[in-house]
Amino acid sequence: MSAVWSSVAPIWKVLLVGLVLGAGLPALVALGMRSLAVGSDGPRGRTSPAGIAGAAVCFLVVAVAVIAGLVVLTASKTFLARWGLS
Amino acid sequence: MDFVQRLNDHEVVTELVILVLVVGTALAFDFTNGFHDTGNAMATSIATGALKPKVAVALSGVLNLVGAFLSIEVAKTVSKVVKIQYTKDVKDASGQVVHHSGQPLPFFDAPGGHHLLITIVFAGLVGGILWNLVTWLLGLPSSSSHALFGGLIGAAIAGLGWSSGVDWTLVLSSIVIPALLSPLVALVIAAVGTYLVYSITARLDPRRRDRGFRWGQIGSASLVSLAHGTGDAQKTMGVIFLALVAHGSLTSSDGIPFWVKLSCAVAIALGTYLGGWRVIRTLGKGLVEISPPQGMAAEAASAAVIMTSSHLGLALSTTHVATGSILGTGVGRRGAQVRWNIAGRMAAGWLFTLPIAAVVGAICWWLADLLKGPADGLFGILLVFAILVATATAIWLRSRRAPVHAGNVNEEWDGAPRAAADASPRTPASV
Repeated sequence: MSAVWSSVAPIWKVLLVGLVLGAGLPALVALGMRSLAVGSDGPRGRTSPAGIAGAAVCFLVVAVAVIAGLVVLTASKTFLARWGLS
Repeated sequence: MDFVQRLNDHEVVTELVILVLVVGTALAFDFTNGFHDTGNAMATSIATGALKPKVAVALSGVLNLVGAFLSIEVAKTVSKVVKIQYTKDVKDASGQVVHHSGQPLPFFDAPGGHHLLITIVFAGLVGGILWNLVTWLLGLPSSSSHALFGGLIGAAIAGLGWSSGVDWTLVLSSIVIPALLSPLVALVIAAVGTYLVYSITARLDPRRRDRGFRWGQIGSASLVSLAHGTGDAQKTMGVIFLALVAHGSLTSSDGIPFWVKLSCAVAIALGTYLGGWRVIRTLGKGLVEISPPQGMAAEAASAAVIMTSSHLGLALSTTHVATGSILGTGVGRRGAQVRWNIAGRMAAGWLFTLPIAAVVGAICWWLADLLKGPADGLFGILLVFAILVATATAIWLRSRRAPVHAGNVNEEWDGAPRAAADASPRTPASV
């Protein structure tokens, strides 16, 4: 049974990483969209520069996280080891 | 001398015909794998209108094609649960590799071993295809990998024996337990994601919000398609590689030929493009009425779980994860309606997937084995192949009675699409 248990133990890692990326990144997108809306209901009806900057940061973090995730998945193990990621 | 030569030619031709049939069947499985799983990535995008149905399946098909080439190391082992090949390199005392990963186990070298191996693989594939077609007809999202492993397990029990054919501890740890846990994990993540997204955007103009999330949804659904191509096309590559090794055209230390990778990638992409509209409809409309923020949360959760688990070497079913995620978005949004009875029906389907595919795989092995004597076993393989073609045709004809297609996939969920209701009008119960 211990072999069975040790093979399913990594599911906790999936849950943790999944919560950070799978729930955290959509939350960041939501933050970015809320930021885009800052000032849009004001007298000029346009997003304030701070709102645009905030949204840009949110969307940039999401894009970088996705690309980094893809690189980690696809790059060869030796390549990753060179950067201490394996 | 001339007679012996002609006898040998005859044998060579027979072996080649069997090889072609097995490779063709493997690609057919890959094709069903494609259309059975389109919904995992694209059902929510189609349901919310983020993508037009035809555009969604085309995008998913292309990404599956790309995904199939994404992975650098392709696993040569079909499945570790069936004991038909070495699952890792075996070295002797001096560090020399004596058995390469993917090499058939010793039973292969006994008399009739080549044919035994190829029959197990073939029967397993047929079991997997038939279960995929039946569940597609029922619009039931079920795991294509469970169908394939189930078919192989049944064929291996029939061909090699209960314990010498199957590693049952591994069945428990790598198939059964992950299948129980993965939908729950995906459900929790998607529920948390949905809750956060709705809390953060509560005061936004809904139209503006939905427009933004449709884009996020397309992006996250694309990631799921990519991950699907990487994971699932590889399984068929492994099957075809094993068939080539069994035939003798390759040895286990060879690399996987390019044509194998290409044909598997194309088969899964074409299957995806065909669009399993029945399954898409169940996932997109049947479980939860999905809005764009929920769709994005579901696909992001699926992508994160599938990619993380494949990186950790846990083989989770894309279908189980996607279904859990979609249920999670219903749980995480206050006031959303979740049709738990449909979820229960799916869960029942998942329970049956592996055992029924195993029974079908075992029956197919047994039928092929009945006729293994004449013509080097060609008749047995042909018999099972004929059964496969006949059953697949029957299922396809049955599906035409209540077709689900790009035009009616998004109709209101009343248990069946309108076309189905027309085909079988509800008659008042007679006395």
